[in-house]
Amino acid sequence: MGVEIDTKEFKLKPMKCEFNFLSKSDGSAILSQGETVTLVSVNGPLDIKMQSQSIEKSTLEVLFCTKGGKPSVADRYKESIIRQTCETAILGSLYPRSGITVTIQELEDYGGLLSCALNCTCLALLNSGLAMRFVFAAISCAVDESGNIVLEPTQEQATSARALLNFVFESRNKDLLTGFSEGSYSESAYEEALERCRAASDLVFTFYRDIISKYSNVI
Amino acid sequence: MKASVGDVVLPGDYCEEISAVGEKAKVIIGPGLQKEIDHVYVTKAGILKKRNPNTYWVDNYQKRYIPARGENVIGVVVQKAGDIFRVDVGSSTTAALSYLSFEGATKKNKPDVQIGDVVYAKMLVASKDMEPELVCVDSHGKKGRMGVLSDGFVFKCSLNLIRKILNPHCPLLESLKNEWPFELAAGMNGRIWIKANTMRETIALGNAILGAEYLSDEEIKSMCTNIATILAGHVS
Repeated sequence: MGVEIDTKEFKLKPMKCEFNFLSKSDGSAILSQGETVTLVSVNGPLDIKMQSQSIEKSTLEVLFCTKGGKPSVADRYKESIIRQTCETAILGSLYPRSGITVTIQELEDYGGLLSCALNCTCLALLNSGLAMRFVFAAISCAVDESGNIVLEPTQEQATSARALLNFVFESRNKDLLTGFSEGSYSESAYEEALERCRAASDLVFTFYRDIISKYSNVI
Repeated sequence: MKASVGDVVLPGDYCEEISAVGEKAKVIIGPGLQKEIDHVYVTKAGILKKRNPNTYWVDNYQKRYIPARGENVIGVVVQKAGDIFRVDVGSSTTAALSYLSFEGATKKNKPDVQIGDVVYAKMLVASKDMEPELVCVDSHGKKGRMGVLSDGFVFKCSLNLIRKILNPHCPLLESLKNEWPFELAAGMNGRIWIKANTMRETIALGNAILGAEYLSDEEIKSMCTNIATILAGHVS
């Protein structure tokens, strides 16, 4: 298995994004990765209840709404992943005793919902103008029956796969921020998937830069 | 990633130029930049800008106001608490405005400010750990243009639009003031107060300002002439 990985050999699902999709929120973004679409709204820093205030950093609240609207345990799990990732990225110490609310609405799910939600959250945070340490990019991949690694699997590939792995990288040193997985896989498969996703995260960071430059030119 | 002045930057980028200049001379880093042990890092997405001598900042899109010292803002009085007024300026906490910080105000002679009044004031104290404090007088005790704004119409917009129309190179107010008379106060917190003679003129003025957000200087000029002709009744 080759360790040297060339970015050019990867193709992620086509990404499309629009900023300020919601006029009333402080920052919002709608992102489609292939067929999967999510909408994220960021509000803050806001005034919050005394008991949830922290004197050294802002309190982050993440709400994940599915298309059906029924809350479930799986959604709470997604919320906690997104909250922990955002907490490392946002410079919360600049906004003590305030709250930041991130609301994510699933619009379409054709595989890779969580990574799409994470990328969309990052774009909405950029739009809101909150201070951040770095930007982050989430990449999902699947280990199929024969042990091959598939980047950004489709819904069918994901259901038939032996394992699903998700990684979130930061932009400074491409370090791993968050990693979560389901299914069984070998250690070498994990290592390979990690390196492939790390290389693929470059594409997402380039996409962020493109979209920000488009928006910066008009203001 | 390395960045230089004029580039589009994302959080996590660093600028070596600032650190290099900083070793020789004093550097001022503004919003969107943060000094860490090794480099000066960018914390907001936008364009890295520089003004001589050695002032750097990131020009980014933002709607939520974060109080900053010395800025003129427009707020709404929401509460009278003892000897201070609490003013909503759009930030996470309300700002305090002492009743003694009006021109000619004494303990006996209190200013006439009611709940719901709109005030144009200057940020005197703005720190992330403290409640922001406003004043309606300058350091000579004169009110200048600050104080309660009566009548008129207040609307909200993004912080970039305020910076754009207050920029001396922006032709918007230059073109509009020749067309019909009006009064205007722009707060750095993303609120604009306008007052014109008639309702039609007020609406036209508000639309002209909001419409200018994504237009170039040339487009702004032609838009202003357009609105003026419609308002004068030449075109229905």
